[in-house]
Amino acid sequence: MLTTDQKDALQEIANIGMGQAGEVIAKVLNEFVTLSIPRILILQPNLIAPALQRMVNSELVSAVRQAFHSSFRGEALVLFGLQRCADLADLMGYEDDIDHATEMEILLDISNILVGACLGGIAKQVGVDIGFSAPSLLADRVPIKEMMKVNDASWQHALLVEVNFQLEQRSFACHLVILMSEHELKKFAGELDRFLESL
Amino acid sequence: MALSVLVVDDSPMARKMLIKALPANWDANITQAGNGIEAMAAYRAGEFDLMFLDLTMPEMDGYQTLEAVRSEGLNCIVIVVSADIQPLAQERVLKLGAAAFIKKPVDMQKLEPILHQFGLLD
Repeated sequence: MLTTDQKDALQEIANIGMGQAGEVIAKVLNEFVTLSIPRILILQPNLIAPALQRMVNSELVSAVRQAFHSSFRGEALVLFGLQRCADLADLMGYEDDIDHATEMEILLDISNILVGACLGGIAKQVGVDIGFSAPSLLADRVPIKEMMKVNDASWQHALLVEVNFQLEQRSFACHLVILMSEHELKKFAGELDRFLESL
Repeated sequence: MALSVLVVDDSPMARKMLIKALPANWDANITQAGNGIEAMAAYRAGEFDLMFLDLTMPEMDGYQTLEAVRSEGLNCIVIVVSADIQPLAQERVLKLGAAAFIKKPVDMQKLEPILHQFGLLD
């Protein structure tokens, strides 16, 4: 569904977007962020949940969802494994006991920063404008399978771009996933082609 | 004499983008490598004056390549070209012996003064 050239272009563009997101997150948290090489998969809907499960490596996840709209549309998910949330409040400079609502607010903030920097970076490179919906909490400590049920109507064939952010000094990590349907993916591939031709 | 330049990045597109950002009339022979292992092999096969080095790569990443360049005492200027633009990443590569750090996507206007600075461009 994507040619080798398109896949390479997407991986490199995602890599640059992720670098920008990493820099912002490093500034906010004052910690060095270890970035992985983005992984790109095209999956059928029934394979998305198992793929996310392997990625997060946690029974329960919290997830923030944010839709994006450009010349192509899709949604970005930021997934947080359960054991990774505890450190977060301390990291963000809160006193040790934060309530649940505050914790969720932090997840929304972090997600918003990551999605804006990463997707914004991707859009900027291919030369298109992009807008975002407000981030919303998709899942709060639920098994991934349950989470996918809530929302699977919009995810047919999906492009999964996986980006991992890991803090060097803390046990915090999160994963950014970009999901696009087959139809939107074709439009995005067209943008990638235009970008590649411009080189 | 023409400079010999090695461009190291796992992405063919990233290599293409970098090569396109090089000065048009620059007298240089360009060789490409897909990771640190390939880069070190290319160096042993024929020395290079300058290496453009990506950081996040499979097999052998940019940090490991910088360490190898240093431990093997290669006489080669290394300019790191990276999407990871955290100040600490820059600090680390400079400590590992990189001559300079440029962020991706490479801006021709920013690259030229660096090449001048190291006497690589007239």
